[in-house]
Amino acid sequence: MGLLCSAVLHAQEAGVEIRSASTRLDDGVWYLAARIDYRLNRETLEALQNGIPLTFELRVELTRQRSWLPDEDVASLRQDFELSWQPLARSYLVRNKNSGDQRAHTTLFAALNDLGRITALPLIDAALVDDAENYEVSLRAALDQQQLPGPLRMLAFWDDDFTLESEWYRWDLRSGKRL
Amino acid sequence: MRTARRNRLRRYATPAIAAGGVIMGIGALILLGRYAPSLADFGRRHVLILAVNAVAAVVLLGLILVNLFRLVRDYRRRAPGARLRARLVGMFVGLTLAPLLIVYFFALQFVNGGIDSWFDSDLEQELSSALRLSRESLEVQATSRLSQTSSLATVLGSLDGEALARALSVLRADAGADELTVFTPELRVAASSARNDALPPSLSEDAQDELARTQRFVALEPQGGARYQVRAAVPIPGDLPAGAGEQGSRYLQAVFPIGYRQGRLADAVQDTYTRYSELRFLREPLKDNLTLTLSLVLLLSLLSAAAGAFYLARRLAAPIESLAVGTEAVAKGDFDTRLPPGAADEVGFLIQSFNGMIERLARAREESRISQQQLERERANLATILGRLSTGVIATGADGRIRIANDAAGEILGVDLASRAGASLDEIAASGPLPAQFIEASRPHLAGEHPEWRGQIALRADGARRILNCASSALPGDGGDDVARAGGAIIVFDDVTELLDAQREAAWGEVARRLAHEIKNPLTPIRLAAERIRRRYLPSMAQEDGQVLDRSTHTIVQQVEAMRDMVNAFSEYARAPAVNIARVDLGQLVREVAWLYRAAEGQPVVTLSVEEGLEVEADAVRVRQLLHNLIRNAQEALEGQADGRIEIAARSVPGGERPVAEITVADNGPGIGEDVLTQLFEPYVTSKKKGTGLGLAIVKKLVEEHGGTVGAENLAERGARLTVRLPVRATVRDALGEARPVRVEPWRERA
Repeated sequence: MGLLCSAVLHAQEAGVEIRSASTRLDDGVWYLAARIDYRLNRETLEALQNGIPLTFELRVELTRQRSWLPDEDVASLRQDFELSWQPLARSYLVRNKNSGDQRAHTTLFAALNDLGRITALPLIDAALVDDAENYEVSLRAALDQQQLPGPLRMLAFWDDDFTLESEWYRWDLRSGKRL
Repeated sequence: MRTARRNRLRRYATPAIAAGGVIMGIGALILLGRYAPSLADFGRRHVLILAVNAVAAVVLLGLILVNLFRLVRDYRRRAPGARLRARLVGMFVGLTLAPLLIVYFFALQFVNGGIDSWFDSDLEQELSSALRLSRESLEVQATSRLSQTSSLATVLGSLDGEALARALSVLRADAGADELTVFTPELRVAASSARNDALPPSLSEDAQDELARTQRFVALEPQGGARYQVRAAVPIPGDLPAGAGEQGSRYLQAVFPIGYRQGRLADAVQDTYTRYSELRFLREPLKDNLTLTLSLVLLLSLLSAAAGAFYLARRLAAPIESLAVGTEAVAKGDFDTRLPPGAADEVGFLIQSFNGMIERLARAREESRISQQQLERERANLATILGRLSTGVIATGADGRIRIANDAAGEILGVDLASRAGASLDEIAASGPLPAQFIEASRPHLAGEHPEWRGQIALRADGARRILNCASSALPGDGGDDVARAGGAIIVFDDVTELLDAQREAAWGEVARRLAHEIKNPLTPIRLAAERIRRRYLPSMAQEDGQVLDRSTHTIVQQVEAMRDMVNAFSEYARAPAVNIARVDLGQLVREVAWLYRAAEGQPVVTLSVEEGLEVEADAVRVRQLLHNLIRNAQEALEGQADGRIEIAARSVPGGERPVAEITVADNGPGIGEDVLTQLFEPYVTSKKKGTGLGLAIVKKLVEEHGGTVGAENLAERGARLTVRLPVRATVRDALGEARPVRVEPWRERA
C-alpha cells in the first residue's frame, strides 16, 4: 500500500481535476455524468490514514444564460462524499452523505476511482428547462475544509496543504460543449 | 457649537473605543475559554474567534499607539503631567507584564506537557493489539464464510436458469446469508437472491482482481452503524451447463452478516483506535492551536492592560495636570481660573482647597484694586486741591528730594516745581535766586530737624522784598522710631508780601489822614495869624524890628506852606479815589509826561525810548502821576549833579497769558543805599537830601492798584533803575487778592 501511496502521490501533482463531465436527458430528467481525478497529497493522506474522514463536496450549478443581464441561477446541487479509512476492515469506505450509499474498497486507488466516478446524478427535471434558452452547467469538486477537525481546520486556515479543489468545469447543458 | 460638539465627541470617543476594545477583548477571551477545550466547537468557531480577537487587538493597538503618540508628544513639549503619566503607564504596564508572562509560560508548559502525557506507547500498542484481535476474530468468521461459500458453489455447479434461482434462494436461507449471486464469466448477474432487494448486486473491482489472481475473494465490509458483513466470492467449480456457450467459470458471491453484538464490539474497538490515532495525528496542530490561543490571550490581556494603563494614568494625572495648569495661570496673575471639581478623595480635596485659595486671592486682589482706585482718587483730589491752592505746598521725602510741589509753590518761587518732582533740594536751589533763598532758609525744616515750625522767611529778588509765611511739619514715616527722618517733611507757605504791604499802607493811610486832619487845621490860623501880625505891626515898627518881624512872619508863612504841602502830599497818599480803568496809549502818555521834564539849564537830560502802539488798560491819571513821581524821584536823585541823565523806556514784555508793559526809569545818580533798598517803597524811606519820602510809596500804591509790580535796583556802573510793570489787560485786586479781568472802555482824558 505504501508503494501505491507514493505512486498516487508522485504520479501527478496532488489536487482535484475534472476529467470529463456531461449531461444527458433520460426519461424527462437531466442526468450528470463525470470523471474526476482525486489525488491526495502527503498531509491529506496521512490525515486519512490516521482516521480522519475526508469530505469531498461536489457542487453543480445550472444557470440560464442571458444576453444582457447576468446569468440566472436555475438550480444548484451539492453532493458530499466521505472517504474514510476503516482500520478494522483495512478498507476505504466511500459514502455518499446525501443518499447514505456506501462502498468499501481495499485499495485507496479503487476508493478514489469510485469517488471520482459519477454515473447518473439527477440534475433537473426537463420540464423546468426552457427549450428556447441556453443553459450552462458548472461542476466543481473540492475537499471540504469545514468538515475537518478543528485543529486541522485552523492549520488549513494558514497553509493550503488541505486545499484540494478543482477548477470550475462548465459546459452547455444540451450540446455538452465545454464552455 | 461645532467645536463643542467635536470636543464632546473627542471626550467620549476615546473611552468608547477603549471600552469597545476591552469588551471585544473580554468577548474574545470568553469565546476562547468556552470553545478551546472542545475541538469540534473550537474548530467550527475559530474563524469567528480569530476575527474577534484580531479586531479587538487592532482596536486596542490603535488606541495604545494613539495614546503613546500623545504621551511622547506631551513629554517632548514638557506638558504638565506628562512625566507623571509616563511613569504611571510604565509602572502599570510593568506590573501587568511580569505576572502575565509568568502565567503564559507556565500555561504553555502545562498545556504542552498535558497533551504529550495523553499519549503512551503502551496504550498505543494495546489498542493496536485489540484492533488486531478484533480483526482476526472477524477474519476467522470470514474464512469460515469463504469455505461455506466454496461448498455452496459446488452445489450450484450444474444449475442454470430458473433452477439456479430457486437453488440460490433455498441455499441463502439455509446458509443464513444476506445475498447470494451468481455472475456469468462476463460478470453479469446470472441469478441472485437477497434478503432485501436494495441495490443491484455487483462484483467489485477488488473482487474481480482478487478472483483473477487467487480464485477467491473475501472481504470484511463495514456497513455503518456498527454493522459489518463478510463478502465472499469464489468461482463455481465444475462444468458449465450444456449449451451455455460461454468461456470461463461463473462466480458465486455471498454476503453474510456479522452478528450485531460482535460487530458492535469490533466497532467500539475500531472507534477507540481511530479516535486515538486521530488525536495522535492532531497532537501537533492542537498544541499549535493552544499556543496560539494562549498567545492571543496574552496579547489581548497585555493590550487591554496597556490601554487601561493609559486610561488610568490619564485619570490619575488629570487632576494633578489641571492643578499644575491652574497654578501656572495663577502664577501669571490669572485669578479667574477655576478647576473642575475632582473626586471625593485627597486630590479632590486639594482641588477644592486650590479653588478656595484662588477665590480668596481674587477677592483680595479685587479689594486691593478698589482701595488702590480709592487711593488714586484721593490722590487726584489732593492734587486738584493742591493745584487750586494759592498756598505753596512742598513735600520732601526722607531722601531730601521733592515729592510733591503744587503750582502755587512754583508761582511764589518763580520756578516750575510741579513738574520737577523727584528733584533734590540743591537742584531746585540752583534754578533761581528765589528758590535758592527759600531752600537755604527752609532747609533745616525740610530736613525734618524740627517736627513743627512756623515763621516768616524774607526773600529778595529783582529789588523787591517777598515775605513768606511758612509752616513746616515732619511727615510720618513708614514706621520705625526715627519718624521725622524716615518720613520727610512738608512745608506750606504763603506770599504775604502784598498783605503786609496792604496792612502797612492802610496804617500809613490812617496816619496820613489823621496827620492831615490834625496838622492842616491849625496851619491856616497860624498863617493868617502870622500875616495879620505882619500887616498890623510891620508898618508901625522900627526899621530894625520891622526887618526881624518881616523875616520871622515870612519864615512862618513859608514853613506853614511847606507844612501844608507836606500834609497835602500825605493826604494825597492816603486818598484813594476810584480807579477808572480805560485803554491808554502808554507811549503817548510817557512822551507827554517826559516833555514836561525836558532838559532846562542845570536840569538832567531826559532820553526817551518808547515802543510804538504800546497800549495798556489802566487809569490814565494814576499812570500819569506814577510817571511824574518816578521822574521826579530821578531828578531828586540827580540834584546837584552836572551830568545828570535820565533814561525813560517803555516797552511791552510778552508774557504768555499775562503780557505786561514795562516802564523803566534809570538815572546815573549815586544809586540807592543798600540799607534802604529793601524798604525803598515804604513811606519816609529815602536816601536823598530832598523829597517827602512819599513819592515812591505812592508809586508802589498806584502800581499795585493796577495789579502790577515795581522794583528798584542799582546799576552796575552808576545810578539806579526803577522798573514798573503794568499788566496789558487790566485786572483789579478783589478781596481775595485774586486778579480778575474787568470790562474796559476807552479812556477819555478829563479836560
